[in-house]
Amino acid sequence: MGINENISKQVRKSGTNSWKATLKGSYVFILLIIVVVILSLVKMDSGGIFGRGHFLNWDGSIVNLLRSAVPILTLSGGFTLLMISGNIDLSVGSALSLSAVIYSLMILNGFGLFFSFIITMILGIVLGFVNGLLVMKLRITPVIATLVTLNLYKGIARLIVPPGISAIKSSTIKTMPAWINNYARKDLIAGLPVAFFVAIVIIAILVIIQRKTILGKYSVAIGGNRLAAELSGINAVKIGWILYIMVGLLAALAGIARASYMSIGDPLTGDGMELDCIIAVLLGGTAFSGGEGSVIKTIAGALIIMCITTGLMTVIPPYWQMFTKGTVLVLAVTLNSLLVREKVLE
Amino acid sequence: MLRNIDKVSGIDKISTRSRMNDATFITLSMLGVLIVLLGLACLFVPNFYLGQNIINLVTNYWFVIVLGIGVTFLLITGNFDMSVSGIVAMSGVLSVYFCQAAHVSQSELANGLGLPYWAAIVLALTASLIIGAINAFFITKLKVASIIVTLGTMSIARGIAHIVTHGAQRNTSLPDVFKVIGNITVIGSIKLSVIIMIIFVIIAVIIEKRTVFGRRTYLIGANIEAARLSGVKVGQHLTILYLISSLLAGITGILLASEYVSGTSNRAMGSEFDALVIVLLGGTSIAGGFGSVSGTVIGALILAVVTSSATGLLLRPEWQFILKGIVTFLAIMAQRFALDRRNI
Repeated sequence: MGINENISKQVRKSGTNSWKATLKGSYVFILLIIVVVILSLVKMDSGGIFGRGHFLNWDGSIVNLLRSAVPILTLSGGFTLLMISGNIDLSVGSALSLSAVIYSLMILNGFGLFFSFIITMILGIVLGFVNGLLVMKLRITPVIATLVTLNLYKGIARLIVPPGISAIKSSTIKTMPAWINNYARKDLIAGLPVAFFVAIVIIAILVIIQRKTILGKYSVAIGGNRLAAELSGINAVKIGWILYIMVGLLAALAGIARASYMSIGDPLTGDGMELDCIIAVLLGGTAFSGGEGSVIKTIAGALIIMCITTGLMTVIPPYWQMFTKGTVLVLAVTLNSLLVREKVLE
Repeated sequence: MLRNIDKVSGIDKISTRSRMNDATFITLSMLGVLIVLLGLACLFVPNFYLGQNIINLVTNYWFVIVLGIGVTFLLITGNFDMSVSGIVAMSGVLSVYFCQAAHVSQSELANGLGLPYWAAIVLALTASLIIGAINAFFITKLKVASIIVTLGTMSIARGIAHIVTHGAQRNTSLPDVFKVIGNITVIGSIKLSVIIMIIFVIIAVIIEKRTVFGRRTYLIGANIEAARLSGVKVGQHLTILYLISSLLAGITGILLASEYVSGTSNRAMGSEFDALVIVLLGGTSIAGGFGSVSGTVIGALILAVVTSSATGLLLRPEWQFILKGIVTFLAIMAQRFALDRRNI
């Protein structure tokens, strides 16, 4: 009797609160729209709406924003799946830097685009494999294990760059071929480069993985209750390992995009990327403890970060950036815990 | 994660066996590791055995040990504090900014608020405590994962340092009293900061071993539900620990700013990882409920031997990152192996 009453109460409750639930479910999109509207109002003074210098100007502003957003768009979808499964990878920034350094080093030394691409992607797979090994096989807590590899990859990336120079770039002996730019800067359709469309394809694949495949369902199950998932026959170690390898591969792709965009291999380029990814994922409403979340909402979260960082960069001095990011992270945490946790409790 | 608790910490074993408990066992084995490493370093690294070099090992690492004290207590309860390095930068920069003379120069970075030094210290420590309070609020009230919040507050604290210094440093128009506490030497050539560190360590060991507060910290880490049911105010306890940790970081920041007579926004970059590394090297378990401050001091010495050997062998400074990663990994694996063998 008690159970029946409870169920009917819940049904009634969810019926009357459906608009509220919809609002909660899509708050990240609403937030994105609000941010875009605010930024386009702030920068209204220079020319009209959609005009030159305006935030909503396609060629000047939006294309630029989307081009520089390619690394986080590439990476944050996979990061979401990993966090849904209750794991985390803090080493993505270092993996990105290391991939960028290796990729540009190969290009600088005369290797072809295709070969450099393949080698860097294999490197990404190896980096992800090592993370998976530490977390899944050796059972070290994800945060600690990936902090270890964060420092490891960071050290390797910095060691590869010869002493005395700051990044892999053209020197008196060797010049960086100009075509390194093609992947992430050259106009393909509507001003957007190949890398952007690669990121879109990756996002599409990840959305399908999350919604339609066993990998996606199992990630949710493991994140929700690992013990229960394992008892019902899911190989949590294997799934987690696959997810770590996937994130490593995506970090390598993001590194390639970053190296191609800047046309140098900067060993510091990925620093702080893990924070951006966490902010995007939290804004997208993924519970930090795992068990639920959505790739497409994370992408909206990633766009919010890019809007805020690139949009604010023209308004306030660069030394405000760190404070802004920290504040956005804390706000995202607050929103996440207020909205998501309530949903879980209902 | 849950599976590891009994293996790594051996909580249920401690109470039932009368022989040396696991915490002492781990501390002693890390002491053994330290002695072996020290011996190897003296053999292979040129000039390592010199007395002055050994003293430098301790004195150069004093601030990581101070940060490590707060982090140890928090990690014993199963929580992280990554904000300490940001707080060090922030409190240092603020202590400079508050006591720089006002309206003395055209340059914006040379002008401060012109407050007396004691007021600058009080205000800088208050700011540090506010960061600690933010951490505590999110972790105890909103039940957010501590790693996320403290990464955010680290950015906020260091971000404040960046804003106040415009991303650089402030080091002009400071009163003479500013450089005293960081550079004063007490016994021989040992700095006051090192003495303060030693005092903090002694107090921390007493709190950890001899007070109800210390024992409750372990209980929270071992089983938070049992702690709550037996009447421990878990939220209040964690709040105090986060406040202590941020206060220690604030004091460190002020001492470092005084030592270098400047407030630099990049001060102690990455030391949140160093603090975590020495705590883990000292045998504190990530799963909570297990660890000790004396272990953390030994962990700091191990890290000091490793990194200064690298410098002594003329390795590039970038090797520090790799070495820290490897040492942490080995420490975690070795401790687990040792406890597994012991508790069969």
